[in-house]
Amino acid sequence: MAMFKAGDIELEIDEDGFIQEPDKWTEGIATALAVTEGVDDLTDRHWKLVRYLREYYLKFGVAPMIRKLCKDTGFKLNEVYEMFPTGPAKGACKVAGLPKPTGCV
Amino acid sequence: MQAQERSYKSQKVIDRMAKKLNRQIAGSLAACVHCGNCTDSCHYVLANPGDPTYAPAYKADRIRRIFKRHFDWTGGVLPWWVKAGSVFTDQELEELKDVAFGKCTNCRRCSLNCPMGVDFAVVNRMTRGLLVSVGVMPAGVAVVSKDQWEIGNQMGVLKEDYVETIQWMSDELVEALGEPAAAIAIDKPGCEIMYTINPREAKYDPRTISDAAKIFHAAGESWTMPSEGWDMTNFGLFSGDDDLGGVVARRVYEKAIELGAKRVVMSECGHGYRSTRCEGPNWAGMDVPFPMESSVVTMLRYINEGRIKVDKTRNTTPVTYHDSCNNARSCGMFEEPREVLNLVVTDFREMYPNRAENYCCTGGGGAMSMSEYTPQRLKSAKVKADQLRATGAKVVVTSCHNCVDGLVDLIRHYKLDMKVTQLVNLVSDALVIEKRAAVPVTEIAAALVLAGRRILVVDDEPDVRTFLTAMLEDNGATVFAAADGNECLALARKERPDLITLDLSMPGMDGGKVFEAIRKDPELAKVRVCIITGKPELRKLIYERDVTPPEGYLDKPVSEETLLTNVRRILEITGEHKAH
Repeated sequence: MAMFKAGDIELEIDEDGFIQEPDKWTEGIATALAVTEGVDDLTDRHWKLVRYLREYYLKFGVAPMIRKLCKDTGFKLNEVYEMFPTGPAKGACKVAGLPKPTGCV
Repeated sequence: MQAQERSYKSQKVIDRMAKKLNRQIAGSLAACVHCGNCTDSCHYVLANPGDPTYAPAYKADRIRRIFKRHFDWTGGVLPWWVKAGSVFTDQELEELKDVAFGKCTNCRRCSLNCPMGVDFAVVNRMTRGLLVSVGVMPAGVAVVSKDQWEIGNQMGVLKEDYVETIQWMSDELVEALGEPAAAIAIDKPGCEIMYTINPREAKYDPRTISDAAKIFHAAGESWTMPSEGWDMTNFGLFSGDDDLGGVVARRVYEKAIELGAKRVVMSECGHGYRSTRCEGPNWAGMDVPFPMESSVVTMLRYINEGRIKVDKTRNTTPVTYHDSCNNARSCGMFEEPREVLNLVVTDFREMYPNRAENYCCTGGGGAMSMSEYTPQRLKSAKVKADQLRATGAKVVVTSCHNCVDGLVDLIRHYKLDMKVTQLVNLVSDALVIEKRAAVPVTEIAAALVLAGRRILVVDDEPDVRTFLTAMLEDNGATVFAAADGNECLALARKERPDLITLDLSMPGMDGGKVFEAIRKDPELAKVRVCIITGKPELRKLIYERDVTPPEGYLDKPVSEETLLTNVRRILEITGEHKAH
């Protein structure tokens, strides 16, 4: 497995660039992962979404449905895609330190 | 000589292989003459020219040797001559896994190009199935299969979450259109259509659900989405597990029967289409009493029958079309998506090779769920990247969710400036919403739809001129005909037609130059042009000219239905092209 470096932290990532140990996630890691998903600047709105995803994952062990995400954060569907052009499954989940979603994505 | 001891799993694989050897598989295992034709047809080989282990014949030999050793008489008589062999250890099964799952997407391009009729993809799928039966598979395949077995869909979406998502899309659509009748009905009995989707639409990107709902509503369709049996994808196709395939397909069929739906329509998903429509009845051992179709076919029908109206000038970005292996190569759906594209975008450019010969998106066969093979997948995607780049298009359209993800991944990896979308999005964008129920089909046929229209037919072949003229005149148009470019320009200036149908390969001035001359003549600014050519490969040359692209582009031979639909749509487009 490849290693991902952000500052002085080094983490294992899978071949698709998702980190393998969600508990070692930090905001610095998130910022660095965001760059790999084409998001160079994480605004407060980005952080709100990323923190929501992370908390949901830590609680339930899966990524939330996009419906839950929009309902709980108040973001519109299109806003999510504007913030993370690669989409919530790959872009936002990766930044939030979730493992790669399963299935055809 | 003491016989080598065989592991329990290896023995099981050999035992089960006996039951899997149907005529197609046995034929494919026996018939290979190692001619090498398959080699050049595989994108893995083309992207890794120095590595013979990617060659389809080489990959097939990993399982063929076992067949020769245990099931074919040649292996009993001359084992060394036919390279017969066997599996003994669990490690060898792991190596087989890396071939069957990691070095082939089951796209069947090699199968199509085999002079001996060897279908390597069925052999590879059987190999996957044998390995899965002893628990040897990539972790991603295991997780997804488990969700499909237990929860009923490949992303483990719970029923209440799914229903809430559909209601959400329904509410937003009703609000956007200001039309309560646009609501999505769940589990409504006795509908014409039960609409099934790919779970990624519900879980991550439901915009395709609302786009489809908008189209159904505009068409005045009687349709419903089921609360169960809504996942038409099927990991049984990827894992080679026919039992899983049967269970998943059966859920869709049984729900449609329960609801009394007259037809099942599947959203744009290649492997789902193939699994549910083509393979599923066999896996499930069921006679399916209703027709099943791709939403691409449904949308085309709506446009052809006049049930929805589309305005292609809303989609002007250059697009190309990627044929999914399952839709096109395995199920023969080539022309329908192109017919839809001709009606909903102004600038469609063919990709080469295309249709049955198109290259894999490189994410097929479940590859998107197997991270361990991502680096070799992306490396092999160079072939696809080159193919995409050569089109000059900014958008690639595909009727497959799996291809969407495969293409998005490689576009990012190879830094192509392209977006990926599906037909449902383009049709929805082009949709002209009118107040309910469009004109019934019978009335359209009765009226002379082209009455009052002036059309100039340009083609150097008299038969084609006669054919096109007859069809257009029968529908009420006043038709003029020209046999070459000069005659075309002279007649156009004299008669001022509403539309010119233009052939490209003509003696004298070729169609491309004629087209440009029409566009650059300010007197002909209102004339619309529909190219009708036997050389679709010239498409790019037309679209790359520095003038407004043609309003239509049809490939010969053209059917009466396609011609009339396109001519009618083109004439509905108002406005002048930009003067250059």
